[in-house]
Amino acid sequence: MLFLPVTGAFLFLGGVVVAWVLGIAAALRKRPSEIALLLGLTGTAAAAIGLGLLLSIVFGLWLVFDLDQYDLWDGWVIAALVMWALSGALGGTAGRRDKETRLFAERLAAEADVPSNELVARVRDPVALSLNIASSLLGFAILAIMIWKPGVGG
Amino acid sequence: MIAALRPDAWDFPLFLHVLGAVLLFGGSASLAVLSIAGLRIPEHAVLLRVLAFRTTLIVVWPAYLVMRVGAQWILSREGLEDNSPGWVGVGFIVSDAGVVVLLLLTLLGWLARRRPRAGTWFAGLSVLYLVALGVAWFAMSAKPG
Repeated sequence: MLFLPVTGAFLFLGGVVVAWVLGIAAALRKRPSEIALLLGLTGTAAAAIGLGLLLSIVFGLWLVFDLDQYDLWDGWVIAALVMWALSGALGGTAGRRDKETRLFAERLAAEADVPSNELVARVRDPVALSLNIASSLLGFAILAIMIWKPGVGG
Repeated sequence: MIAALRPDAWDFPLFLHVLGAVLLFGGSASLAVLSIAGLRIPEHAVLLRVLAFRTTLIVVWPAYLVMRVGAQWILSREGLEDNSPGWVGVGFIVSDAGVVVLLLLTLLGWLARRRPRAGTWFAGLSVLYLVALGVAWFAMSAKPG
């Protein structure tokens, strides 16, 4: 019964790790073609994150309804749901900014593939970075809540 | 059910174990993505192979250590060290054999910086390791038997 929500959590958080590895690697490069390549590879991570979010909410709620000792209105369940929604929303907003950066990098790569200060600034965009950090921290905080279940006697 | 009955003292070791496992899965998935891309995009193959090697050192090994330390800690808390069920055995096989796989990946990743053929082996082994981690997470969460 735990396998499916755990699979969702692994895909979601594993995808977050892949996105960070590729995002940091892109932020450390200067050539547009390399930045475009690395940001393009984050598509795999985005797919895993999306599928993980879906699996975790569907089968997580199923688990809550199925087990008598948990209730949808338990504080830790509501906190996890709010954090799940916030994490997805913040990650989605950051993802749209990252996609614009990737398209810009692809355009520069197709023109002359010469390093550009504007591209470097965009790939290190503090707004997208903050959104990604907040989204990731919320994801890992959900994992902590799932394990500690504050309010449930142990 | 198990979570409701689990004493609070088990929570931190379990969190450490799961956190390490998630980071290990993500790190290994990164290796697979980078190394497969390295095979398909020859003009950036060297960059991708170097990144895969660095990810092995910076992400995968530390994640493995966190996962393994957490596993041993929670095992001792649960008192399963001497009488562990089958699903724990599967986890042990994957994690302990994983050291050999990670050593091989590290060696292949280092060689692949200059030898493209090693990159092919690296990609294959990273995908195999990802599958093994999937088997372990099935055993740990579904607890068959």
